Amino acid sequence: MRPFCSPREHLSRRAFLKGTLIAAGGATVPNWGGLFHSSGVAAEAKKSGKRCLLLWMNGGASQIDTFDMKPGRATGGPFRPIASNVTGLQVCEYLPRMAKMADRLAVVRSMRTSEVDHPNGIYLMHTGQRPLVNVSHPELGAMVAKYVGNADSDLPNFVRMGPTGNGGAGFLGPQYQPFGLDREGRLPYFTGPYASPEAEQRRDDLLRFVEEGFAQEHKAEPFEAHRLAKEKAWRLLKAKSAFDVSKEWPKHKERYGDSEIGRGCFMARRLIEAGIPFVEVGQDNYDSHADNFVTHKANMNVLDPAWSSLLQDLHELGLLQDTLVVWMGEVGRTPGINNRAGRDHFVHGWTVVLSGGGVKGGVVYGSTDADGKDVKDDPVTEGDLFATIYTALGINPRAKHFVGSRPVWATPEGARPVRAILS
Amino acid sequence: MPDTPKFDKGALAWTLPWDDDWVTAVAVLGPTRRVAAGNNLGQVLVWDLPEKADAPAPAPVRRLDGHTNVISRLLATADGRWLISAGYDHTVRLWDMSASTKGTALVVPDANARAAAKKRGKPLPDAPVTVGLQQAERVLEGHKEWVQALSLTPDGKVLVSGDDAGRVIVWDVPSGKETRRWQVKGWVYALAVSPDARRLLISERFPLVYDPAKIIATKLWDATTGQVVRDLEDVFKKDYQSAAVFSLDGKLVAVGRGGEVNGPSGTIALLDAATGKKLHELKPGHEYGVTDLAFHPDGKHLASAGRDTVVRVWSAADGKLVKELGKARGGQFKDWIHAISFSADGRLLAAADMAGAVQVWNFPA
Repeated sequence: MRPFCSPREHLSRRAFLKGTLIAAGGATVPNWGGLFHSSGVAAEAKKSGKRCLLLWMNGGASQIDTFDMKPGRATGGPFRPIASNVTGLQVCEYLPRMAKMADRLAVVRSMRTSEVDHPNGIYLMHTGQRPLVNVSHPELGAMVAKYVGNADSDLPNFVRMGPTGNGGAGFLGPQYQPFGLDREGRLPYFTGPYASPEAEQRRDDLLRFVEEGFAQEHKAEPFEAHRLAKEKAWRLLKAKSAFDVSKEWPKHKERYGDSEIGRGCFMARRLIEAGIPFVEVGQDNYDSHADNFVTHKANMNVLDPAWSSLLQDLHELGLLQDTLVVWMGEVGRTPGINNRAGRDHFVHGWTVVLSGGGVKGGVVYGSTDADGKDVKDDPVTEGDLFATIYTALGINPRAKHFVGSRPVWATPEGARPVRAILS
Repeated sequence: MPDTPKFDKGALAWTLPWDDDWVTAVAVLGPTRRVAAGNNLGQVLVWDLPEKADAPAPAPVRRLDGHTNVISRLLATADGRWLISAGYDHTVRLWDMSASTKGTALVVPDANARAAAKKRGKPLPDAPVTVGLQQAERVLEGHKEWVQALSLTPDGKVLVSGDDAGRVIVWDVPSGKETRRWQVKGWVYALAVSPDARRLLISERFPLVYDPAKIIATKLWDATTGQVVRDLEDVFKKDYQSAAVFSLDGKLVAVGRGGEVNGPSGTIALLDAATGKKLHELKPGHEYGVTDLAFHPDGKHLASAGRDTVVRVWSAADGKLVKELGKARGGQFKDWIHAISFSADGRLLAAADMAGAVQVWNFPA
């Protein structure tokens, strides 16, 4: 088997210019990141102007304690369901504002996925693929950046904050790597100026000159990845006001909640408004092997105002119809309650919630049995979910890439979009 | 005050099975030989204990109906007449245990054990128990969230409750009326009222992780004004305190660290109640956290329970361990004893065992 593209191909300018390949059927060959790619595939996706926002519940939120409640059952726990504004759809009492948004939600209650622990589960639910030793799959954000993003934008196409994914850009290459804000939504240190603008410009030009020379002699992807990151950072400096919400935040703090997820959701709204096609915001501490109800109660106390305000604002700004908002973690949680008052990891019947662009609102897809121990109807795999997400975003879920000569599709073999929830 | 019993001769007198769900609260009703216990389902059962410790374990005699969610606390007045319960259904209820029951029901306290035996091919004969039914005399509805914390003065006149919305309410028990309420920032986790009803120790939590919005606080309050007297952050740093109780003379307050903690870090501190100064730290702490504390009626000893199935009895004078009751049970993480309660004569200690039972320990005179 041919190995990955050789470093010489990666780094030669000629290779850059030769990077455009004509492919049929949506196939693209990543010139270590697909700077040049099938114009057909990318153009179609870009026309849609879609955006995607991932609310990542790190650790794995409990479906039985949020959107798939089992009142009166031994597995039900102490939370009580409340009615939503969708007949027949009940949610946890600690999501009262989201209950009023249920008509915008597509609740998928029948996730049955294949990785039960955190590192692989995080990878799985960010890429739609199981980890492989010799293929590094791109995260959802990188795929959106590639197919929906704007390479000419000074703003990054893939931004994230808080606890998030672990896959990165994978075989798509370093220019689709995520741009990370810290947990408070602050820009990284290197986006702050060290010197006057003129001095900065001279320093930057000198660095480019030195790095170009270095790259001729030292051909390795990490160096190029670093160089690209620096280039992106310089471009970002021109547009970094998009990340400054300090004047606006006080007006919205009460509504979103003065918490990390509250600030993160507000920042996400501003970045979507600014045109960034993919933003991920993580909320921590759903890995409730102990004290599940206490931790979920606290988490939902801050999630509910943040998430509902985000959806409301996106709707009022006219952005929700083109922004797919995905709520999920890496696993669900067991229906059984252990002797630490906790729930452990569970992948045989859990919940993901979609809303916004490309999906119907006010629907529930799939179901679990009376105690939540397994899927009863309409199982959805991770591949099916990603096929659904890509379809909603106008990205071909069977887009084919090559790692060396090995074809790798955007979704696993057999993955099917859930048409019932697509609008 | 009763004499100090022989703690070293303490032994398990009865295990009262009740395995519908976790047993989460327990109270011995004053000088009577009556024990009440509550569970995760909002049920409360009452047993009458035999006079002799070697008599067979009794069946429940009464069921108290009304709560619809987890029973978080049970307390009894010193004369044993009133049982007070708090729960996740946002209510506090007062039960007149001298009242007659109305109606009966059949209960099978060990239904799950029986089902398991049947599955193994060794079914047990049916043994449903007829219990009298009782409703609460009074339902206090001032809370709008889970009532986690409850404390009663020894004279039975002042009750203080706290909930997960940070509401603290002081009640006059005879009338069932609120006398004062105030708001703390976090959820009320542990709460203890001094015997003279003038002081409160309140621990608060808002248990987020990695989020600056989380709250951890333990403070001494003036119960008459609702003002903080002393912030105990220097004593407890950033640890959640899950249990607290004043000594009967009001000079000490015992505070236990809880929520799940690492290893034997569920420590107990004995503080000077007036100043908040730590006098003793009781070690070994309960593995994985403290769940409840109770002073012995002799005024000289303290019992503690935790997430390690063990009850410990300590000397309040020097903080030394006097007796350990029970053994840790479970895998890496142990079963909990949720709550403990002494009888008025100090000869009995009841313990709420999450495995589905009430343990009753006897200490000879």
